Amino acid sequence: MKKSHTLTLITALTALLTSCNSDATQHSGMSLIQKSDPDPIILDEKTEKDHKLVASIKKDVAKFDELYDVAVIKGEEEILVAYKVKHMQRFHMVKIEGEINKMLEEKYPKENFIVSSDYKIFLEAVELNDKMKNPDFSEEDAKKNLEEIIKLKKELT
Amino acid sequence: MGNKKPESKEVEQYKQFEKNFETKRPLFKNCLKAFLVGGFICMIGQAITYFYIYFFSFTEQTAGNPTVATMVFISMLLTGFGVYDRLGQFAGAGSAVPVTGFGNAVISAAIEHRTEGFVLGVGGNLFKLAGSVVLFGVFSAFVVALIKTILIKLGAI
Repeated sequence: MKKSHTLTLITALTALLTSCNSDATQHSGMSLIQKSDPDPIILDEKTEKDHKLVASIKKDVAKFDELYDVAVIKGEEEILVAYKVKHMQRFHMVKIEGEINKMLEEKYPKENFIVSSDYKIFLEAVELNDKMKNPDFSEEDAKKNLEEIIKLKKELT
Repeated sequence: MGNKKPESKEVEQYKQFEKNFETKRPLFKNCLKAFLVGGFICMIGQAITYFYIYFFSFTEQTAGNPTVATMVFISMLLTGFGVYDRLGQFAGAGSAVPVTGFGNAVISAAIEHRTEGFVLGVGGNLFKLAGSVVLFGVFSAFVVALIKTILIKLGAI
């Protein structure tokens, strides 16, 4: 009797923790556990210059030894840079964020950056990347999604 | 406090005699149990944090609040079912130090004083154990915030 109770509890907990997975895609679903290396996204006019810019930003940020995954999204006004920090380097997260911010501001003074090491922001960036592969997903939706991500980043409580 | 009277020969002898019959505490084993069970509780907490990050709009920064609430709620239920007490007997500090110990302290006091009525029994004694956690938690948070404010005002941070 007792064993069956324990088994039911474990099953219920597992079901609770693994359910509701319909929204997240396979790619973004695994992005917290493994390296996903998403392509940079441009939501504005997609000129050759922009393509070069986002690729260059991604390359520059990825150069930091403490990081292992970088996502870049270029919106109309802001460029979102989300990254994952290696586990043992997570103690120096504030310092790393400062260094990345400084580097980006020095190298790309005209651009407006939002830098985040938060898993959620990275996850949302990968999800947006996945959604954009769907032809039904319009650019307007993508812009709205980016705005939501930026709002989420600024949220503190 | 420092002027302790030297103990008499008899007391010394009795202490020595008592020592021979005292049950030896398995310190290492207790530490190991506390470490494993405490670590396991924290692992569940981490899983719940990821659950909130994945399926709700919580960031790493904000997911801590619902996680704590969920962990306390689960431990309250487990205390009511009589499971947490057994875990406490086995793991000691491993089950008391994490935030789940707070839920246990609240509910065990409520159960103990249930016979004295809802107002004077449950209401009056609910925070008998957990009250000190709340008090010193709030007080230490105040002290830390005060130190931080002073350091910021002085320009040290």
